[in-house]
Amino acid sequence: MSVSMFLLLAVIGMSFDLGRVYIARNEAQIFADVASMAAAKQLDGTAAGFDRARAAVTALPDRWNLGTEEFKGVVIEFSVDGKQWEAQPKNLAALHYARVTAPDNQVEIMFLRAVGGPQSFTVPARAVASTNPVRLTE
Amino acid sequence: MRRERGHVGRERGHAMLELAISAGVMVSCLVGTFQFGYTFYTYNQLVTAVGNGARYAAQRTYRPGSEDVERGNAAIRNMVVYGDAQPAPEATPVVPKLTPAAVDVRWDLAGDGTPLNVNVAIKGFTMDAIFRSFTFDGRPSVQFPYVGKYAPGERER
Repeated sequence: MSVSMFLLLAVIGMSFDLGRVYIARNEAQIFADVASMAAAKQLDGTAAGFDRARAAVTALPDRWNLGTEEFKGVVIEFSVDGKQWEAQPKNLAALHYARVTAPDNQVEIMFLRAVGGPQSFTVPARAVASTNPVRLTE
Repeated sequence: MRRERGHVGRERGHAMLELAISAGVMVSCLVGTFQFGYTFYTYNQLVTAVGNGARYAAQRTYRPGSEDVERGNAAIRNMVVYGDAQPAPEATPVVPKLTPAAVDVRWDLAGDGTPLNVNVAIKGFTMDAIFRSFTFDGRPSVQFPYVGKYAPGERER
């Protein structure tokens, strides 16, 4: 009986928890894509454009965990060449890339933890967009 | 002899009762697992489809004439449902029974008519998970910033 219960919980966990993890991963990646494009769209070489880029990411309505939770701890970075990234760059005129990382999306595990799985599962996402034209590059 | 037969009969009765109870629990667990698993799978497909459709919408040329906007929106709906803006007549939807009518496309426009954002969402789509049906209304949804070309002088073909 306990063996079959263990197996049953494992099967339910595979279906329920992993299903939610895959959805969250997908939602987070789409958010990162949207956010990096929103930031890249605003970059125009000026300080005002830089501020608008950061504000555009904060203002996005997209959510995760079946569309119920806001993204937290989102990191916005900028780059001239797509290699060196800074959150507060000095050379605003040459900025050509925006990178957004949503690092802190923790899906709470409900069933798999009963059979030795983790308490939660983190599904980070990252995307890079370029300016002129605004396109996803990563 | 009679006592032994009675004892065996009672044991069989217990076993049958145990089986009936545990089978009921097992079957309802498996049905629930299937329902949630299939619903999550479908929702994940919808998230991907809406994301792809919205990204396509954000990058395509926007022609502001009302007929042009409607034609453009039809192409975006097709992209969500079939993964192709101009699908073949026999194309199958990415999610069973999903139709273009279940895809909502809304544009946020600036004062001069320039598109700022495009919102794509699933509205009123009922999926059949065999044992129960689920309706998705307004979810999944995604908003992309518009980064395509604004072409007031062009007509949609």
